[in-house]
Amino acid sequence: MTTFRFDGTTYTAQAGDTLAAALLRNGIGLVGRSFKYHRPRGIMTAGVEEPNALVTVGEGGRAEPNTRATDVFVYEGLVAKSQNRWPNLSFDVGAVLGLAAPALSAGFYYKTFFGSAKKWMFYEYFIRKAAGLGNAPTLADPDRFSQRAAFCDVLVVGAGPAGMQAALDAAESGKRVILVEQDNILAPSLLRDRQEQDADWINATAERIRAAGGVILTRTTASGYWEHDLVTLTQRISEPGQIPAQGVAQRLWHVRAGQVILATGSIERPMAFAHNDRPGVMLSQAVRTYVHRFGVVPGKRVVIATNNDDAYKSAQALKDAGAHIVAILDARPAPAGANSGHRVYNDAVPLSTKGARHCLKSVSALVDGKAMDWDADLLAVSGGFTPVVHLHMQAGGTLDWNEDAQAFIPASSRQNVTTIGGAAEPQAIFQMVPVSSPKKSFIDFQNDVTLADVDLAWAEGYRSVEHLKRYTTLGMATDQGKLSNMAALGRLAEKQGVAIPEAGLTTFRPPYTPVTMGLIAGASAKDAGAHVRRLALYDLHAAKNPIWQPLGYWFRPRAYPTGGETLAQAALREAKAVRNNVGMTDVSTLAKFEVSGPDAAAFLEIICATTVNKLAVGRGRYTFMLREDGFVFDDGTVWRLDKNRYLLTSSTGGADRMATHISYVRQFLCPHLRVSAVNVQEHYAGIAVAGPQAKAVLATLIGEEPPRHMSTVPAAIAGVPVIILAASYSGERAFEIYVDASQAEAVWAACEAQVNEAGGALYGLEAMEFLRIEKGHLVVGGEVDGRMTPHDLALDKMLNKAGGYIGASGLARPALSEAGRRQLVGLEAIAGDIPEGAMLIPSEGASPQGHVSAAAFRIIAGGSVALGQLTDGFSRHGEILIASSPTRGQQARVRVVAPHFYDAAGERYRD
Amino acid sequence: MMRIPCPHCGPRAQSEFIYERTVDSVVPLDAPSQEAMTKLFTRNNPRGVDEEIWRHTYGCRAWMVLTRHRVTNEISECRAIGPEALP
Amino acid sequence: MTELTISTLPAAPLHVLEIWSNAASVAKRFKAAMGFALPATGRSGGNDALRLIRFEPTVWLVEGDTSALSGILSDGGAVTAIGGGIVRLRLSGRGWRTLLMEGGVFDAESPTFAAGCSAATIIDHVNVRLHVVDETTCVAYVPLSFSQGLLHFWEQAAESLVG
Repeated sequence: MTTFRFDGTTYTAQAGDTLAAALLRNGIGLVGRSFKYHRPRGIMTAGVEEPNALVTVGEGGRAEPNTRATDVFVYEGLVAKSQNRWPNLSFDVGAVLGLAAPALSAGFYYKTFFGSAKKWMFYEYFIRKAAGLGNAPTLADPDRFSQRAAFCDVLVVGAGPAGMQAALDAAESGKRVILVEQDNILAPSLLRDRQEQDADWINATAERIRAAGGVILTRTTASGYWEHDLVTLTQRISEPGQIPAQGVAQRLWHVRAGQVILATGSIERPMAFAHNDRPGVMLSQAVRTYVHRFGVVPGKRVVIATNNDDAYKSAQALKDAGAHIVAILDARPAPAGANSGHRVYNDAVPLSTKGARHCLKSVSALVDGKAMDWDADLLAVSGGFTPVVHLHMQAGGTLDWNEDAQAFIPASSRQNVTTIGGAAEPQAIFQMVPVSSPKKSFIDFQNDVTLADVDLAWAEGYRSVEHLKRYTTLGMATDQGKLSNMAALGRLAEKQGVAIPEAGLTTFRPPYTPVTMGLIAGASAKDAGAHVRRLALYDLHAAKNPIWQPLGYWFRPRAYPTGGETLAQAALREAKAVRNNVGMTDVSTLAKFEVSGPDAAAFLEIICATTVNKLAVGRGRYTFMLREDGFVFDDGTVWRLDKNRYLLTSSTGGADRMATHISYVRQFLCPHLRVSAVNVQEHYAGIAVAGPQAKAVLATLIGEEPPRHMSTVPAAIAGVPVIILAASYSGERAFEIYVDASQAEAVWAACEAQVNEAGGALYGLEAMEFLRIEKGHLVVGGEVDGRMTPHDLALDKMLNKAGGYIGASGLARPALSEAGRRQLVGLEAIAGDIPEGAMLIPSEGASPQGHVSAAAFRIIAGGSVALGQLTDGFSRHGEILIASSPTRGQQARVRVVAPHFYDAAGERYRD
Repeated sequence: MMRIPCPHCGPRAQSEFIYERTVDSVVPLDAPSQEAMTKLFTRNNPRGVDEEIWRHTYGCRAWMVLTRHRVTNEISECRAIGPEALP
Repeated sequence: MTELTISTLPAAPLHVLEIWSNAASVAKRFKAAMGFALPATGRSGGNDALRLIRFEPTVWLVEGDTSALSGILSDGGAVTAIGGGIVRLRLSGRGWRTLLMEGGVFDAESPTFAAGCSAATIIDHVNVRLHVVDETTCVAYVPLSFSQGLLHFWEQAAESLVG
């Protein structure tokens, strides 16, 4: 025996009970209030289609709102709360809205939006309080969600008798089989219909499927059918609100199947009559499920309304369980039901129900044109069967109309999917037309949509079923029209005077049943959603407790504050160390490509817009790359390491893009070249050492004369082989040391020791930014923003005059070098600090003529300086402008100058 | 998520691949300027079958041309691109 | 619990060998010199001293002593060091196949993915290269910058593996 709590009271349940079964077992018929009118609602079904019995299960971060009480199995300590009621379930203030029902008729929201705003404000206050379902939890979900791939030859959805047989046949013919069942037992319909031999058959079949290597997943719903026979399954490992034994609450499966067999069965339809939403009105098969599977008899005096044979099985089940079958109202003419042994009324259509204290008291019906009524505490209805065609339709399938069953059945599909069993061959029914008060005849119980709402939408001109759905909200929320769509279609077809298939269908979209958001996020639910890329030297940096800066997926040290320094103070100290002495920093994230082969230079002259083949062995140069349309998209350096071997570097942020570009050019455009271009971004860790003392530090480290500016040599530091590139991004004499990342720690330690010895410092990205701005170096993503040509950035003198590089024809377009383009300029403040991102205007109120792309300070001399883009900027040096940032409320008067604030002649690179 | 028949690896999940562009928008290195710009900026974009360039970026890194129906996602052909390779 | 241990192998020199022309004659020279053929796509070949794993049409991952390769390649290809950027994670125990399905998209449970097979794929957003050593061992070659993240993902996933 299991105990659980519902709305604060403790109850007991039997093993295997759903929450709905347990509530019924404890005599609880009222479980919720309806969405708009707060009408009392009870349990109507025994499956995922349940529209009424929505509860919040679990507490804190595990709370799951809008859970169908029919779709949660009771575990010890389960806590459930009813929803959409205030102050409590049996007395609900919102129910007075029910008295004013027409106020919330079809299209209410649309009409109110089009009315005066004041009117909406008035309604909104009450509606926000009253409408809606459960509340989303405010705490983080403590559990994990897994996502797992699976592959099979045959995926069978639905472990009813047809599905189990199909799975068995496939498994025993040697195929990889997965069989999924949303219930927690196999073949629940056999249990519902209680045929004595079935339990043995179910167990034996499951055993044989497993023995043949098949996988059976229960409590698993095939919730989406995607392209190329990919089906997503949502598996409940623990029940809603339950603490999972191994931390994982649910698993999302991505199953790629060779073939999909849908044995999804059908869903019983309700009937439309007045007050058909009263607690005590249940679907016939649901009643039978509660009696046979759970041993719960939901009523003592029962009326059954049907248009088919199936409901007679429920009558027998109830009778056997000791209930009194007061009447069977069969819509079919005599002799339907004649030999059933029950009191059968033919040509009988239900009219209305009456109740008291949220219980059913009586049922009235029109029998052969005459009104009759019966006292009853349970009305079991069966309005026919709707095949579950959702997955077939998600797969891009089409439907046929089955006249006998008054139902759509799966027809063809462009994917490898077939439907078998009840979903393909629904039971025949008798077509009936609702006869009474449309205003109280609900067709969508979850959204409180009545026949009258459909009629109103029709009267107001809504003809398409898709419009009808949106106007009335029919078919929305957790049940997605599983019970209501056919009734609405029937009414719409009736209004249009056409057959149902001509009235159209709404689109079936995944998921079939609601999916927890955390499941879609998977393992990423617990972090930023992506892995952080870690530097090879992460541990060494982390030991210094730097301020970290995200850069794409990377995290890099922004500054290394000491003794309570702020970011700005630390960055300025670090930048000064570079200017006055020596600094070192981690540049490992730069994109790097090792390009080898007899055609390496020719290949690089296609990628790069500068010359490459003039480089002598041991020399390097600055280079940049264009897109095919002629705009600059990246820059870096290229080094000739050996006769047929080059190293190309480019920006961190553009690394993946550049890798793809290089591969495209090599593999797609130039398959004939004898070249190997290998991405070595992560193979080499990079350490930059910069400053007036850098050369002396390097000489000590490598034990020889360091290479001159823009030269490269192989060397060893701390016994580890390294490549020294004499390149500078700071304006000082500088070196980049590239080393196999697995041996980088020893090299970093040796460098740091020498830098400390020389009185230098580590520097981070912030200082690097100060240094490069002052020197006027470009950054990709800043000055190089995808809209600038080599002309705009004053790089045109470096273009390879022989052409042949990617982007040469795009760049030849006249508009890319005409007057009136934005051009790179320097800006120095006359008054105030230049705000980054500010627009450049000639006077207050004038249109912007450019913007500030990066702002900093002169490191030694002080004063605000910046780089920017300005229309015809090259010819405007000396002009005074305003750099204005209205969003920051800052502005500065600036003078346009050349973009070099430090050592414009480049003398500091010379030894 | 589609299943793409990589000519080197066999059928693989679309998430291992990156779409590059359609074949008609490839700009050959020796294309005259006008032709290059027409290729770059004028696309057919048919509602139906088109030839698309994809890369098995997170697999064998090779490039391929897919003949794909843009409505039904039916992939009728997948042809390898690149330097001659050993079997 | 499914039997599974995840361990990080020590850093080792890894190279890529790319053949850009005359592939057939390079392959012939290779087999003559090394005693085993250049493996096909999705396969590995060789021994503990020198193992080549093919993930790409024209590129092999080389584990071991590469000193003889330049001579064999002549001007038909090149060898480039990449080992610094790769962390090798060894998955031991029968559970490795199930583990690889977590956050994955590749059919590591297929019986055809057996000893001597290789595959590159994406697992939990990380580009991973797999080599099946034997039925109870698979080695994953993971980009250094993502290796800590993936290791954490795998350790957590391994905790919850059942059957």
